[in-house]
This record gives sequence, C-alpha cells and structure tokens, in this order.
Amino acid sequence: MNSKPIRIRPFLNKLWGYLAVCFWLVFTIVLVGWIICASFSTTREIFSGKLLNSGFHIENYTRALFKNNVALYLTNSVFYTLSSCFLILLISIPAAYVISRYLFLGRRLLQYLFVASLGIPTVMITMPLYSLIVRMGLLNYRAVLIFLYTAISVPFTTYFLISFFVSIPLSIEEAATIDGCTDDKTLWYIMLPIASPGVLTVTIFNFISIWNEYFISLMFINDSKLRQVGVGLYSMVQSMTYTGDWSGLFASVILVFLPTFVLYLFLSKYIIGGITAGGVKG
Amino acid sequence: MHKNRLFIIRCLFPALAIYIFVFAYPTLRTIIMSFFNMKTISTSIKHWKFAGINNYLHVFQAPIFRQSLLNIMRIWFLSGAITIFLSLFFAVILTGNIRGKQFFKSVIYMPNVISVIALGNMWLHYVFNYKYGLLKTFFSSLNMTGLASIQWTSPDFIFYAMNIAYSFGMIGYFMLIYVSGIERIPAEILESATIDGAGRFRSFISITFPLLKDVNKTVFTLWTVRVVGFFALSKVFSPIDSSPQTITPMVYAYEAMFGADFVSVEGRIGIAASACVVMTVIIVVMFLLSNALTKGDHYEF
Repeated sequence: MNSKPIRIRPFLNKLWGYLAVCFWLVFTIVLVGWIICASFSTTREIFSGKLLNSGFHIENYTRALFKNNVALYLTNSVFYTLSSCFLILLISIPAAYVISRYLFLGRRLLQYLFVASLGIPTVMITMPLYSLIVRMGLLNYRAVLIFLYTAISVPFTTYFLISFFVSIPLSIEEAATIDGCTDDKTLWYIMLPIASPGVLTVTIFNFISIWNEYFISLMFINDSKLRQVGVGLYSMVQSMTYTGDWSGLFASVILVFLPTFVLYLFLSKYIIGGITAGGVKG
Repeated sequence: MHKNRLFIIRCLFPALAIYIFVFAYPTLRTIIMSFFNMKTISTSIKHWKFAGINNYLHVFQAPIFRQSLLNIMRIWFLSGAITIFLSLFFAVILTGNIRGKQFFKSVIYMPNVISVIALGNMWLHYVFNYKYGLLKTFFSSLNMTGLASIQWTSPDFIFYAMNIAYSFGMIGYFMLIYVSGIERIPAEILESATIDGAGRFRSFISITFPLLKDVNKTVFTLWTVRVVGFFALSKVFSPIDSSPQTITPMVYAYEAMFGADFVSVEGRIGIAASACVVMTVIIVVMFLLSNALTKGDHYEF
C-alpha cells in the first residue's frame, strides 16, 4: 500500500524530463524544418502560409548559389578553414609536446599565457593588427586572413593538446630513444598517432569556430570576391530583404547552415566528448 | 642535451612568436592608443597626440556607449538567467536515468555549431516575423491574440527577441559543461541522499548544486567573456543601423573605428581603443571577482 508513492515519484520525474527534452527537440525540428520548406517555396507562398504549394522550387538554390555568390563564399570558407586548421596543428603540436615533456624556465607561465588569450576580446587586438596590415599593403589578402585565424587559435589549441601529451606514458618515448629515434621522429611518428584523438577533437572545434567566424573577416576583407560565408550571408540577407526575395534568403541561410550541420551529424560524438572531457571552447 | 635545447627552441618559437605578435603586442598597443589621439587607425606613432584620460571621459559621457554598457549588463542578467537555468535543468535531466541521452545532448548542443549569422536570421526572419512567424502562428492557433499580436521586431521588443535567440544558441554549450561537472560527482553521494529520503529536487538543491561550485566559477567567467564579445547577433538584429536597443560595446568600438555618425570624427580611434580597454577590464574584474567569491573551502572528491 505504502510503496505506491515511492514508485510514482521516479516515474513522474522521468516523465517531466522526457517532456522537457522532447519539447526542445520538436521546437528545433520545426525551426529548421520550416526554413527548409520555405527555402523550396516561392516568396508569395511564404507570406500566404502555403509552403510548397507549387512543388519544390530548386531554382531558389541555383539563384542563391550562382547569382548571389553563395558558391563562391562557400569555396572561400572551405579554403580559409582547411588551411588554417592545418597550420594551427603544424605550430601547436610541437609546442604542446615540448611544454608537456621538457622542463625549462617559464614553462608554467607559457601555459597561463595561452589560457589567458581566451579572455582577451578579439576587438582588443584588431586595431594594431589592422594598422600594421594596412601599412604593409596587405588588406584583402587571403593569406592574411588565414594567418590571423591560425594565430588566434594557436594558444588555445596548444593548451588543449598539452593535456593529451601529458597523459601518454613516458616509457614509450624512452623506448623510442633507446632504439635511436630522434626527437623529431619521436614526436611525429610515435607521439602524434597516440595523441590523435585529441588532435581530431581540437581540429573539429577549430574548424567550426573558424567557419563561423565573423568579426575578423568583416574587418580584414572588403573585396566581395574574397568574402567567407558569415560576411557573405550578412550582406546577402541585407540585399534580399531589400529586394523582397525571401525564398532566396531562406535558401542562402540553409546553404550556410548545412556544411557544419552535416559535419556535426557525423562527428557529434567527438564534439560532445571533447567538451565533457574538459575542453572549454565551443 | 645540447641537441635537446635546439629542439625545444625550434618547437616553441613559432607558437611563442605568434603569441607575442598577435596577442601581447596588440594588447599593449591598444592600451597605449587609448591615451592618445590619432587621425586613422594606421597613423604612425610619431603623429599621435597625447590625450590623457580624455578618451575615457568621452566614452563614459557618450550616451550611446553608456547605452551599450547597459545593454550588455541586461544581456548578462537576462540571457544569463535563461541560459544558466535551462542548461542546468537539461544537464540534470540528461545525467539522470533517461533513454537517448547522447541523442538529446546532440540536439540541444546543435545551435552551437551553426554560424551565428545563419542562426540569428532563422530567428529574426522566421520565429519573430510578424506575418508568418512561428510565434505569431502558434499563438494565433491557440486564439491567444494578445501574445500573437506582439511585434517582436519592433523597438519595444527587439531586445528581448535578441536575448531569446542568443540564449537558444548558448544553452547547449553550458549544458555540456554542467553535465561534465555533475558526472564527476561520485554516485555514492547522491545514492546516500536518496536512501536518506531526499527527493530529486531536494538532493539537487542541497547536494548537487553546492558541489558544482568550481563549475559555476568557470561558467561565470566564460559567460562574461561571451557577453562582452557580443557582436554578430547585434548586427543581425539591427540590420540597417546600430540601434540603441541592440548596440553592444563591441559594435560601438567597431563603428568608432570605421567612423559611424554617432561617434565624432575627431579622435574616434582613441575613443575606440578606450572602449576596447573598458571591455577587457570588465572581463578581468569579473574574473577576479569570481575568484574572490569562490575563495575558501574546496570540496575534494
């Protein structure tokens, strides 16, 4: 008789939990789903509330991709993001390895400096950099954007990777040294493969944050041919609300939404694991 | 040993050089710039004119900058309350005994991987639209005409609209931080509370939340860094001109750098620099504050 309330309570708790997360799920699906439907409809259908009434209008996408240059912005972003992600690793892996393995003066200080970079607002560092780049005549260069993206991500990436190298047992390198392996070979051929889960996680984070970056590219790129997706989409939305091309607007939004979303579908396990393991960047 | 030293230098040099060139030097130079006047961003040091604390006086007397500070304070509290409450709520649910944890975590985190510009436009042009928007059609279908007639994109409501969209994007990230915090609490502690007859709510208030002290400290600092850097969403929610409802200090600094009307042309660069320094000081002060507040006993488990 008395056992009833004890059984009901966990059940009710669970029910509320399910209701809350399902509500969130439904909202997210409606949000994204409606915009996908709108991106295939005509502007008139969007305003009259009869989405997809005249079938799928693929031309919204061809118009956005080629007439409004989304294809160009996407290509630019792929180029900027992949190059930066590669360069970040090239610089951060050796630094993280040395900091985690060798005792030298200022080792702790370096780690503090690298984390502290997370607290410096981007806008604080942009004016002197802008001034330098203007005086060197390097405004509107792809390489400058890639350099800045790389530089801004190096401190945190290094900090993140240190913890991965620390967790690898020393005996592995000792064995390698005894077998006559040089420091470079030990790092790239022995340590790197073992640390690869950490390298993968931090690269996914770098990819997403560089892909979605807005402020730096707004400041350092004025040439519309060199724009990446964030700045490109922003200016496109402005012109499309002006011309009243709402279906084109939603198609462009979906085109910018899709790449990171698809990446996320495949890699969410690493991303979620990376943050819950103590990475502090998202 | 000699070989080792060369290896250390070779490995550290690029990262250190980049740090000095892209973080240390620009930070110092911006601080110095905030005490000077110059014509353009790229004016060389020779032509800078010392201005003392005039830039700071100007910035704190400028109504639009004060408005922008007020806005991020309100964002800090309003979006902060929504975000922290919901992310803790979901974190507790998703560390409990429930199916599909991984799936729901992925769903709630998803907005974090989307471009802020895309996400902001999804909210602005769909959820908050006054003709076919989600809120409008939802409340109309329930015959709640009062709620349905809210013009979310009007000056009266745009600030709240922006905060709702911002919180939606932030919840997943802070939820994951809380999930990792809760998972580190040993199961025995919560089990013994259950055996002693504590309900779920009670054990959260008396046990889980106090044990999350260090996590809360991290969240406090991270949240401040995010809010001070509030930029892209403000641009999305005020597409044509920066409006007092949505302006933030970072937008103000950007507009001052490139000469918007509301920042006087003369000395605007130094003013922008002082706005940047104010933003950094806010972060540092909040960081020190969070350290001071959580000083003292630490829980070991």
